[in-house]
Amino acid sequence: MKKIKSRGLKPLWAALFSMVLIVSAWNVTEAGKSDILTTTTDLASIARAVAGEHATVNSICSGKEDPHFLQAKPSYIVMAREADLWIRVGMELEIGWETPILDGARNRTIRVGSKGHLDASERVRRLGVPTTRISRAMGDVHPQGNPHYWLGPLNGRIVAKSIAGRLEHLFPENAGEFRENLKAFQKALDEHMFGKALVEKLGGAKLWTLELKKELDPFLKSLQMESQLGGWKARMGPFQGEKIITYHQSWDYFANRFNLDVADELEPKPGIPPSPGHVLEVLRKVKEQNISVLLMEPYYSLKAPELIASKTGILVVVSANTVGGQPVAKDYFSMIGNIVDKLATAFETARKNKGK
Amino acid sequence: MKRELLVFLYIFGFLFTLGANGFAQERGTSEAVVNELKQEIQKLRDQMEAERRVYDKRLQKMQEKIDAVSRQILEKPAADAEEDLESEIAKSQTEIPSSSLEGAWSGVGRSLQSLNPELSVIIDTYYQNSHFSGASDGEMSDIYENMAGFGHSHGDDHGHEHGGLDEGFNLRHLELYFAGEVDPYFKAYAIAAISEHDAEIEEAVIQTTCLPAGFQLQAGKFFSHFGRINQQHSHEWDFVDQPLIYQLTLGDHGLNEKGVQLSWLAPTPFHLLTGVEVFQGENELLFNYIGGDELPDKDGPRLWVGWLKFSPNLTRKHGFQAGLFGGRGIDQEAHDGNHDGTNDHWLDGHGIFIGADFVYKYDQNYAYGLGDFTLQGEYFRRKKDLDLYNTDPSLGGPPTALIGQDRIDKQDGYYIQAVYGLFPRLRAGLRWEQVGLTNESEFPNGTDESYDNSYRVAGMLDFSPTEFSRIRIQADKGDYLLNSGDQGVWQIFVQLMVSLGTHGAHKF
Repeated sequence: MKKIKSRGLKPLWAALFSMVLIVSAWNVTEAGKSDILTTTTDLASIARAVAGEHATVNSICSGKEDPHFLQAKPSYIVMAREADLWIRVGMELEIGWETPILDGARNRTIRVGSKGHLDASERVRRLGVPTTRISRAMGDVHPQGNPHYWLGPLNGRIVAKSIAGRLEHLFPENAGEFRENLKAFQKALDEHMFGKALVEKLGGAKLWTLELKKELDPFLKSLQMESQLGGWKARMGPFQGEKIITYHQSWDYFANRFNLDVADELEPKPGIPPSPGHVLEVLRKVKEQNISVLLMEPYYSLKAPELIASKTGILVVVSANTVGGQPVAKDYFSMIGNIVDKLATAFETARKNKGK
Repeated sequence: MKRELLVFLYIFGFLFTLGANGFAQERGTSEAVVNELKQEIQKLRDQMEAERRVYDKRLQKMQEKIDAVSRQILEKPAADAEEDLESEIAKSQTEIPSSSLEGAWSGVGRSLQSLNPELSVIIDTYYQNSHFSGASDGEMSDIYENMAGFGHSHGDDHGHEHGGLDEGFNLRHLELYFAGEVDPYFKAYAIAAISEHDAEIEEAVIQTTCLPAGFQLQAGKFFSHFGRINQQHSHEWDFVDQPLIYQLTLGDHGLNEKGVQLSWLAPTPFHLLTGVEVFQGENELLFNYIGGDELPDKDGPRLWVGWLKFSPNLTRKHGFQAGLFGGRGIDQEAHDGNHDGTNDHWLDGHGIFIGADFVYKYDQNYAYGLGDFTLQGEYFRRKKDLDLYNTDPSLGGPPTALIGQDRIDKQDGYYIQAVYGLFPRLRAGLRWEQVGLTNESEFPNGTDESYDNSYRVAGMLDFSPTEFSRIRIQADKGDYLLNSGDQGVWQIFVQLMVSLGTHGAHKF
């Protein structure tokens, strides 16, 4: 019978304490630069353009995953620990993982409600805001509206302005540069949207105002400048009014901007995988309405889309709708450009096939 | 033949003279026509020239107009155009609810868009049936209470049941969850577990959000954050029942205590979180407190727990965390040596535990959890280091001469479990567990005993129609070493869990 005292714990505490001492002396922040952390790569791309050389910008998502579902990994907490500004998509997109990261990071400056926390949806044009009483029986419906707003290029412009505004507020010493960067970003975005010639002649803001009023086409016609329209708008122009099928309800902003008509989604309700019954319904719709393109993100299964394609000949377009989701989607512009390109090519192919 | 030739020549000559005359006449008239045409053309030319001049003028005017519009647009400062766009965006934004979030941060003290706390309800209900091998049949609570080496004091209340597993339908509980930011300095959450017969506060926690340098203080009643399973609520578990080692050493509710926790997130390039917790010490299995007439009074806090969690930065798809933990606290026990229903000897001393945990998660990046994989395990070792403090031989207790002698229990166990996303929304899991690899007891009378180990294996399948509902079936096969000998038990579970309201996101 021997008496064993609780010696076992003392070395553990000693180890803990010494580790605390060692790491206290360790500082990993990069001096002189502010640290911006965004939830998605799209926000990161815009923030990078606006912040310029004054910040390091990182993103929690890599662009390859479904941003609705992410594990709040401890490494994300490490990223958030030193951040000066946290930018989220908002509208409950990150509801499943933002809080554990922000709580875990113990970083006062980026908590919800503080200056270092920016909800990029603050000023954007929203679609799909429920006007009636909603229930979860409708699936994963967001009460504040459809959160995939970054797929509308005008919203990218608005988000850039929000970010610039917050950066000016946080770092007034660089305000001038943020404003310059914002202008350059907006100009580049406008040129991607409408083409260089028109932006030079008329200015991006005027073009967007006309576009919003749906007066751009008549205006250009009255000035006989239709031929000068370029960019995404011109590329998608011939396909206005085309019907498409999407997998998830994530393409509404894109469709709205380029006047496409989302006839149906493969998901019977947002967030619920395609059921056989619903796939049949979509199949019937594709045949009846002669729909030629199905648009989806890379992280969804190709099973149901390929089934529909084999029965109807619909063209399946797999396109990333986040920066980094496909190798070509390197930044915000190439991400949108990639969608425009793939869709336009698919529509052209479909028309050629039908012509035969 | 000659005559025919002559006729032909004659006809030819005649036709020739006729044709030559006609041609001369024709020539005379066509010259006049040409002159006429020339005049016509000249006229048309003049007309066209005149019209061209008119059109040129018109075109010039139009170009001037275009230039004017362009100039107007261009001369208008870009800022104005931006303003026009802004107001147009605002105008077109009829869908936006009036409660814009704009300026939420600018007001001092305002921390959330919503002043209402998050509120959610979780309903956890299941069916359980066990089948004992051999002739005897019983309930799982009999197993938990009679495992060799894992016996424990009953203190004053004999009536409680362990395992909480009825044969048939069970309503584990209804969990009411409230959470919110208190002010810019604190956040709080409370979880009330309402069962059929009573309600208890599972957790009521106030946390600081304002401490610098990675520190956080929390106070209230909460699950100790050591290991993995202990701090999770039952609805977060991947299996219906909790691991055997925790069921046997800490009981149904785990280490759930009133106290204070100080934790620190180290400024390391990897994730390193460490914490110290000070608790009242009221766990009836390992940190029991009786006091009163037979045992010394000890003021709280009586229990200290420390833990450390480490997580390296892996590539995007992989997540890993490993932890070490330990705790030490006062433990007092009352025993009924001759099983006559009256306590006859009392022990006083310490309960100690140490252990380690790990979890690895793989994220396949497919939708609806397909291909995701989680591997998790924990090792837990406890020691009870008690002295015989008091005895009543008249009631059947050991002789008073043994007072001060040791009663030591050393037991351990582990579990390892894997869960895999087999199909969209459907997961399959396997759990293997063993308890009593070390299983020794020393008694005050100088004898000691060591027991063999027990094991259990479980398989489960769960389907989550959405993130708010889950249906699970599970089968357990255990081979338990009881005081009375080996007992094999099969258990099956069918579980249904739903969550209503805005339930907070789960931790890693």
